[in-house]
Amino acid sequence: MSATKPTIAQGRLVLLGINHNTAPIEVRERLAIPSTRLADATRTLLHQPGIREGLILSTCNRVELLTLQDDSETTAPQTKTDLLRFLHEYFSVPPNDIQPHLYEHRDREAVRHLFRVASSLDSMVVGEPQILGQVKESYIIAREVGAVSTHLESLLQRTFTVAKKIRSETQIASSSVSIASVAVDLARKIFGSLQGKTVLLVGAGKMSELAARHLIEHGAASILVANRTQSRAEKIAAELATPAVHTEPISFDNLYAQAPRADIVITSTGAPQKIFGRSHGQHFLHARRNRPMFFIDIAVPRDVDPRMNEVEGCFVYDIDDLQQVASANLADRRREAAAAETIVSREVDKYHERLQSRDAVPAIKALQQQAEELRQAELARSQSKLATLTPAQREAVEALTRSLTAKLLHPQLTALRESTRPKDSE
Amino acid sequence: MSLLWLRVAVLLYGIAALAVLPAALYERPRWRHIAIPATTAAVLFHFVSLAEMLDAAHHRLPVDTHETQTLLGLLLAIAFLLVYWRYKTVSLGVFILPICFLLGLIPAFRPGQETPSFSLVHNGWIFLHVALLLAAYAALLISLCASLLYLFQERRLKQKLPALSWLPPLETTDQIAQKSLLFGLPCMTAGLLIGSLIAQVTVGASYFRDPKIVLTFAMWLAYVAMIHIRRIAGLRGRRAVYLSTFVFFVVLAVWAANQFSSVHRFTAP
Repeated sequence: MSATKPTIAQGRLVLLGINHNTAPIEVRERLAIPSTRLADATRTLLHQPGIREGLILSTCNRVELLTLQDDSETTAPQTKTDLLRFLHEYFSVPPNDIQPHLYEHRDREAVRHLFRVASSLDSMVVGEPQILGQVKESYIIAREVGAVSTHLESLLQRTFTVAKKIRSETQIASSSVSIASVAVDLARKIFGSLQGKTVLLVGAGKMSELAARHLIEHGAASILVANRTQSRAEKIAAELATPAVHTEPISFDNLYAQAPRADIVITSTGAPQKIFGRSHGQHFLHARRNRPMFFIDIAVPRDVDPRMNEVEGCFVYDIDDLQQVASANLADRRREAAAAETIVSREVDKYHERLQSRDAVPAIKALQQQAEELRQAELARSQSKLATLTPAQREAVEALTRSLTAKLLHPQLTALRESTRPKDSE
Repeated sequence: MSLLWLRVAVLLYGIAALAVLPAALYERPRWRHIAIPATTAAVLFHFVSLAEMLDAAHHRLPVDTHETQTLLGLLLAIAFLLVYWRYKTVSLGVFILPICFLLGLIPAFRPGQETPSFSLVHNGWIFLHVALLLAAYAALLISLCASLLYLFQERRLKQKLPALSWLPPLETTDQIAQKSLLFGLPCMTAGLLIGSLIAQVTVGASYFRDPKIVLTFAMWLAYVAMIHIRRIAGLRGRRAVYLSTFVFFVVLAVWAANQFSSVHRFTAP
């Protein structure tokens, strides 16, 4: 066991990969593995020379190979080449196309990287929740094909714990950073649950449709669609309809009469002048007995007069307002990411310490056993000289030799234990 | 012994009032796990203390200011726990728990010296009269706090400031405010009815000419009017807070009027 090279007992952890920071989409898409082929790819990885355990993480933003390899100084420099060859052979991509984009982490740094990835600190959108599920999916597949056993098992379980800890102890994932999800968040701040709420779509735009879909996902039960072209309104209504969601195209001429039915209004017309003025807001609120209304205006030029926001019960957010909230949330996430990095560092230290303590245990046991054997041998050699001793004297000699052995071993055992402390790590 | 339990309850209210700050303001769930059990334990100790206090004083109703204060604090804490159980929000605790702490603090360390001078203190109906009215006051206070939270959150949303995650959604705070009032109305009505019947039987019609009693019925009217306006006009936000505040001051005035009432005084200093 080496005190200065932190390794997993009898193995070396190597992580090789590309991600959105190191490789453009053109490279990433050539290495992407669909989930249906992940088991086969993991099995193939496991058959590479020197690989004892392995896991492949493949998402739209990264492809990473996490491997536990034989811990041999002579083979260590070749590991990257071996894994590169695997990528080249499995994906039929020339090594020169991949190599400039590859990163490699070993042992402690590999653990840190894995913790950061699972905690979404290395994601394109920091704090996004999908990555943990993707790591878990890769783990399940790797375990099914027998590519994950003792060492990676304990590392991955620790990884999941760290990721959960970061989610619960920081606010890294608590705020939305896309326009559509910000709109949903704001709607929930007003209405609480969106179950049973009615959404009115005025105009047809990709972003308004996306926002409507987000609202449906969160429980909106009824969608009204108004468009100057009635056929377009009908088409959108048909597209959004599901068994759980009632959709209804409404005539644009009927817009002001129908609008009070809606709790949330999303506007995205190309109209040069405002569609909803302040007085409309007052009228709608009166018709709704002051139940709040949320206007999401994503049209440029704007469809809703900003003065409508002054009407008690009307909440008007235009595209800039939503963008501002999204940016503020992103800044919050970055701040929280700093706290999360501290947790990761602490957890890496803890994991490393535990690993090294585990590495030291066999050596300590061997030393103690050797000393005990020596003691027993010496006592046996002196058996004839000790034969005249009484049982009490014999017991005293036993205690004396045991105490001497323990005292003689103490410095060596302390040195062994000390060598596993973090100060020795790289 | 009752003082000891009350002191324990006050201490627990203090802990809960402190723990609810990080739980609500910084969304630290661990602190919620301190605030809620501490409040629950405080309510239990508070109840035991109140029961022992009344038992020791050989009467069934809270007579002096301190006993009344204690009962109000207990009802507020129970109301807070009910709101938490129903809406899973601790935000109200930011206001309610310090009030519970303060309402218990003085009786816990300076118990009242007043003695009841009223012959009906052993009457269970009197206890019901007092408890129901205090429950109505507690409901009004909860409603006022919820309306303030509504106003605060509404302002932030209007000003496009980041919505405070510790505040419940507007619809939830509005529901808390409305339902508290709806709960308070039958309590107040029944409390006043019971009180009136007892007064009619024991004192007679002259009782109802006392200004404090007249003001009490004005309070009931204001309470009913507030609920009616809020429900019919769907009053929310700023105007709802104004209305609740007005009724709250009427209630305070009724409470304070006890000091000047010639017939609605049950203690001798």
